Amino acid sequence: MKAWSGFVKPLIVVWVTGVIVAGFLVPVPRIPILEHTARNLYFHVPLWFALMAAFLLSGFYSARVLANGRIEDDIRASQAALVGIAFGIMGIVTGMVWARFTWYVGTSKWWNNDPKQVMAAVQLMIYASYFVLRNSFDEPARRARVSAVYNLFAASTVPFLLYVLPRQLESLHPGGEGNPAFDEVTDPAMRLIFYPAVIGMISIFWWIYSQRVRIVLVEEALEDDG
Amino acid sequence: MGWLSGAIAVLAKDVQLERRSRYALNTLLLFAVSSLLIVAFAIGGAPLSTGLRSVILWIIILFSAIAGLSHAFVSEEERGTILLLQLNATASAVFVGKLLFNLGLSLLMNTVVAVMFAVVLGFGEANVPALAAILLLGAIGLSGATTLISAIIARTPNKGPLFAVLSFPILVPLLVSVVGGTTKALEGGGIADVFAELSTLVGYAGMVITASVLLFDYLWRD
Repeated sequence: MKAWSGFVKPLIVVWVTGVIVAGFLVPVPRIPILEHTARNLYFHVPLWFALMAAFLLSGFYSARVLANGRIEDDIRASQAALVGIAFGIMGIVTGMVWARFTWYVGTSKWWNNDPKQVMAAVQLMIYASYFVLRNSFDEPARRARVSAVYNLFAASTVPFLLYVLPRQLESLHPGGEGNPAFDEVTDPAMRLIFYPAVIGMISIFWWIYSQRVRIVLVEEALEDDG
Repeated sequence: MGWLSGAIAVLAKDVQLERRSRYALNTLLLFAVSSLLIVAFAIGGAPLSTGLRSVILWIIILFSAIAGLSHAFVSEEERGTILLLQLNATASAVFVGKLLFNLGLSLLMNTVVAVMFAVVLGFGEANVPALAAILLLGAIGLSGATTLISAIIARTPNKGPLFAVLSFPILVPLLVSVVGGTTKALEGGGIADVFAELSTLVGYAGMVITASVLLFDYLWRD
């Protein structure tokens, strides 16, 4: 672990710096309405991939808590959710700003109940409730199990937000009704930056998440000693 | 005791207790009726669109459910009867008994709210079978989602206000479907027109109830 993490972290720094510089400087095709805001594809969409990674990781560790009751898995599940909240808020804000100056230009709308916005907001509400629930416990073992139950129960409703609601609400996102799918609108050249940006954002998520886990583990160990 | 007879025994016990105290039922119905009347007074004679009508109907139902459906497991914890239940019935039997009790309460609540709503605010040209189907499936989804949350908050040290906080995010998919379906039904759409919403509600209820039964085991064994 130690040997390769010392090499991986500088690599993440170089990789993400490269993605950001390329994202701002490499020419993008001039699509009407989108124009230069198309560059947000490199930042907004990867933030959502990172939130999805956080969601899967948190659910995975919550299931492990139920299987073996280890406190460390509970710490991992909660820290994945915590870092996920940060990425989710950034994803919502970048999306709102992007939509405000493209789809809703001239309407002064910031929020339009787009199914993807609803899904993101609900996911953040779930994690916020998850932390409120966690903070109400004193006993670590019970906190681990009950909050894992809530995390997984809430996760069971996410497929409805992902697949069912978009069919009932109108969406302006790619793939929505009457909108071209991602493949048709995205210039192949943009994918050369987009896919590395996804990898970079998920790596940053993983980095912050693993640091958070280590901090909490150290804090717990200090509490046990004192 | 067999699984089914265990579930029915838990249900019968709760119905018996409810018949003596009428605590949950009175809270639920009184909350629903008074919030409906407050909304009606606040609106006055202003005209309401069908979309607004269905939103008001379901917000009243949702908030009443939050106020009244949290008792299922909290009452056992308060009376100190959890251990007795754990000894006498399997986890899933207890859960199904409680779920059926909550389902009965929400069906009763939805009926009362819908009838009161029809009298006070009016449904206009609504298609009654479609509306009834949405109210029925809405009650199943609502009780299915809130029964496990009730079991979760029964395990927390300070039980009260958490119920609403934990329930709302889980109920969002349900709310979007029932409001969309009710709007169509109020515009005169039949069962065929609201079929997409009805199948979503069936899927939602199946999903939350399956997840609840699977997860309840871990809350019960403490």
